[in-house]
Amino acid sequence: MRYMGFVKMAGDVGEAPPALFEAMGEHVQRGFADGVLVDAGGLYATSCRTELRVRGGQVTSTDGPFAEAKEEVGGYAIIEVRDHAEAVEQARQLAELHRQHWPEWEGAIEVRRIATPDEAGPGDAGH
Amino acid sequence: MESPTATRASSPATAAAVTAAWRAESARLVAALTRMTRDVGLAEDLAQDALVAALEQWPRDGIPSSPGAWLMTTAKRRAVDHFRRAETLRRRTAELGHRLTEVAEAPGLDAQVDHIEDDVLRLLFLCCHPVLTPDSRAALTLRLVGGLTTAEIARGFLVAETTMGQRISRAKRTLAQARADLDLPTGEERLRRLGDVMAVVYLVFNEGYVATAGDEWARPDLCHEAIRLARMLAAMVPAEPEAHALQALLELQASRLPARHDPQGRPVLLHQQDRARWDHLLRGRGLAALDRSERVAAQGLPVGRYYLQAAIAAEHARAARADDTDWARIARLYDTLAEIAPGPVVEVNRAVALGRAHGAEAGLAVLERLPVGALAGSPLLPSVRGDLLERLGSPAEAEACFREAALRTGNEAERALLNARADACGRRV
Repeated sequence: MRYMGFVKMAGDVGEAPPALFEAMGEHVQRGFADGVLVDAGGLYATSCRTELRVRGGQVTSTDGPFAEAKEEVGGYAIIEVRDHAEAVEQARQLAELHRQHWPEWEGAIEVRRIATPDEAGPGDAGH
Repeated sequence: MESPTATRASSPATAAAVTAAWRAESARLVAALTRMTRDVGLAEDLAQDALVAALEQWPRDGIPSSPGAWLMTTAKRRAVDHFRRAETLRRRTAELGHRLTEVAEAPGLDAQVDHIEDDVLRLLFLCCHPVLTPDSRAALTLRLVGGLTTAEIARGFLVAETTMGQRISRAKRTLAQARADLDLPTGEERLRRLGDVMAVVYLVFNEGYVATAGDEWARPDLCHEAIRLARMLAAMVPAEPEAHALQALLELQASRLPARHDPQGRPVLLHQQDRARWDHLLRGRGLAALDRSERVAAQGLPVGRYYLQAAIAAEHARAARADDTDWARIARLYDTLAEIAPGPVVEVNRAVALGRAHGAEAGLAVLERLPVGALAGSPLLPSVRGDLLERLGSPAEAEACFREAALRTGNEAERALLNARADACGRRV
């Protein structure tokens, strides 16, 4: 089964220390080598960012950054795992890297199962 | 027992979380322990002991910051205990103790990545050793490299758990009795053994892709295990074009899995599949792996059967509609495949390709040259002959072929499909 993982953090968190970049690089390399990681990337916080909002029958477009956002997605990964526990283990490893290499960082790692036509998640009607 | 890593960073863990953390490390763990103890059976027992210890401690203390190092330390401690207890093997204890000390002095498990990767490769070669039968190789690989339980492997291969347990124990005994070499093979021998490993990965995939018995058309779990193994292998031997090609082949074939059956579970053949339902992430990865294979091969290394099969799968993957398929190129690829890996299955597939590229007669001509009684136990030959005869405009003969094919399959879904095709031909007679 396939999961998407997100790293969520405060928008004004600043630059990650080089040690985290290095550790993340090794982690990603290992994820690919283990056949678990299929795609991963970081997201730019400020540039090249636009939100289209539909409200009251109108579509409005706003360019980022969005200062009001408390917590936002800073990166994503797509992993292929055998069960939910394996997905959580991948998230735990990532959380551990942040804890070790960027002690003042606070945020969240979330993993969510990707719906496919064949396998709707348990208790999920899908959208 | 005191936890080797002092950090208590995480909250209490569930048994499932502990098992997942162990499983993420199990191949490296078993592989390193095999190197240290020169005994794959003992290595597996030690890794299992480490899991039991983790299941006792982590639910209370949380998962340590480096589970791999914790498990390794625990397993090595058990190894020392084991050899100390075996008093008659005192001399061996001294030898082993030396080796263990050597390893214990090395930096943490995570710091020895290259070393560990060699260990896992060595373990993979051992699991796919020529003294074992292909089925045993597959089972042992899934157990020791994949980290699956015996019950999971038994379910994948549709056999009783006790049967699978016996198969795995026998395989480990055979390896011990044969004093199977743990060192990485070199030169020609390396290529041959790499071929054995790739054949096992392919066997596991096919076992999942076409269930040979039962009502399920496919068991995707074994497909996923095989893809994972193929990715690991390609990462371990990145200079081998065939390893990337095998990964490409499996990813491309698996990308069609979601379209291989309709909502009622009935099989849908390739040319009728809704290509929007293909898994386009896997498709893209498969094409990228094929590119890597070609780039490595461009440095002068030979490609083989996996490259050719992946290149054929890629032609299908690149065609947005079935009618866009470049059958002429596929036919040429099959001609080459038939030269380097001759066999009746390749010939039948070549007949399909030639039939599409140059007309049904060209395909039937290939089938005519097959020896009498070829593939007698499989529905493949009569179903392809039926398809070609149908295209040629001979529905009566085609119907007989599809009926014959339906009798030969053990797969309920496939039988229903073949009978439906026979019925359709019958109505046109």
